[in-house]
Amino acid sequence: MGSPQQLAEQTVRGFVARVKPEAPELELDTPLYADGVGLDSLEAAELSALLEDEVGSDPFTSDEMPQTLRDILGFYDEVRVDA
Amino acid sequence: MIELLRRVAEEDPRRAAILTHERTVSYGELVRAAENAAAALSREGISRFAVAEHEAEPVVALMAAASAAGAEACLYPPSEPEEIERLLDRFDHDLVVTTRDDLEAGRVVRPEEWTSGADATPYDGPAPDAPRPHLVQTTGTTGTPRGVRHDWSRLLRGTARIKPERDHRWLLAYGIHQFAGLQILLHVFAAGATLVAPAPRRPREGLRAMRELGVTHASATPTFWRFVLAELRSDGGPAPALKQITLGGEAIPGPLLGDLEKTFPDARISQVYAASEFGSTGSMRDRRAGLSAEVLDRGDDADVAMKIVDGELWIRSRTGMLGYYGEPPVDPDAWRATGDLVELDGDRILFLGRSSEIINVGGVKVHPLTIEERVSAVDGVGVARVYGRSNPMTGQIVALEVVAVPGADRAAVETAIRQACADLPSASRPRSIRFVDQVAMAGSKIVRRTTGEQ
Repeated sequence: MGSPQQLAEQTVRGFVARVKPEAPELELDTPLYADGVGLDSLEAAELSALLEDEVGSDPFTSDEMPQTLRDILGFYDEVRVDA
Repeated sequence: MIELLRRVAEEDPRRAAILTHERTVSYGELVRAAENAAAALSREGISRFAVAEHEAEPVVALMAAASAAGAEACLYPPSEPEEIERLLDRFDHDLVVTTRDDLEAGRVVRPEEWTSGADATPYDGPAPDAPRPHLVQTTGTTGTPRGVRHDWSRLLRGTARIKPERDHRWLLAYGIHQFAGLQILLHVFAAGATLVAPAPRRPREGLRAMRELGVTHASATPTFWRFVLAELRSDGGPAPALKQITLGGEAIPGPLLGDLEKTFPDARISQVYAASEFGSTGSMRDRRAGLSAEVLDRGDDADVAMKIVDGELWIRSRTGMLGYYGEPPVDPDAWRATGDLVELDGDRILFLGRSSEIINVGGVKVHPLTIEERVSAVDGVGVARVYGRSNPMTGQIVALEVVAVPGADRAAVETAIRQACADLPSASRPRSIRFVDQVAMAGSKIVRRTTGEQ
């Protein structure tokens, strides 16, 4: 089993490949919404639940909503430091 | 209730009243036990008591005794000692009849202390118009159980039209403490039939009892029947030769009726719409989901009348409860919201689910049942549960738990579920899919209320 960041990255990439197969390749700073990956609010809600299930905590519950994959990985980095 | 048992016992005391894998109890034995217990209640001046017991034989005897002596019995659901003690406190019971050794609150009486005795004489109960209270706990699918106050005279009113059917063997698939369980008892004993009471009352044991104890008639929730069908698919054994299948207690998914027809081709299939509060409203025997819209035209003289208000079914019942425990009596002529959301579709009232089960996805109201129906039809899905899951983005999302059939490829089933739901409105698509060994249940109904838990 990998680190929370590795697990989160794998989860996000798998999710994007399923719901947005035509989206541009996901870079660390690709915007998750609008002109980036193009997730809508319900897809973001789905990703939120998926991360909670797979990694054990949900970056969408933090004060600032994650805008990129880097933000999501940063959340888990902070969780690890806090722990 | 005692009068139903006495009537059969006078005619044929050796006829089987209750049948389990271990034992057959005759009507004569049951009446003797009930009259012994009624005499004990009268002798000790007991006016109300709790029963934390689930074997049909002592429970039926105690209920019949209470109906004879005018004492109020209340059957408790199977629970941990702490919950039983909370309920004893909630319903002000200081006497509990049970074989359990783990209860410390109140006075504990063993059933046989009251029911045993070979030389019982018939108990001369109260006049038929004297109050004969009975307290039924709700299943608590939407929160803490409430006590629903009934009177035996009202409960027995509907049994007058039940014809003698001594050869029928009815499966007890509901908890004996539930109102639906009580309705089965009343029907069976009014017909002079036999109650088949496996323990525990789960679909697997129910299916075994159907096969091995000659069950001819069975009444259960749609969830119970879905599990029975899943068990049949799983074990590959023969379907029991049922003559009657009754569904009630939950909205019935359309595909389920078709599946039951195919599996039990010789069975008559009917639906009942009933609740602890308003009693039974009658049955539908046309094998179509929902109620006939004719029930909306019953008029003021009918004991039970219905109307639809803002998409919710309302009922006025003169045969229902007297009121909730600890609250003022209800007016039998007053209309009450049922909590069941419906829509009128031509000549049919279709059930959409409970108002407490609605999922609010970013302001969009979603009914779980229609999604469950769709998911349940996917190959590899044994049972599906749809509920609202808390979410920081949209307040709630539609969450799905699936019990897969044995041997199913879960990844393939998940893909098929997503495809089956792809044309649903975006808010209605399951956004969280989990495979589980069993789904949350309360009293043989699927729990669909929203949860903040995963």
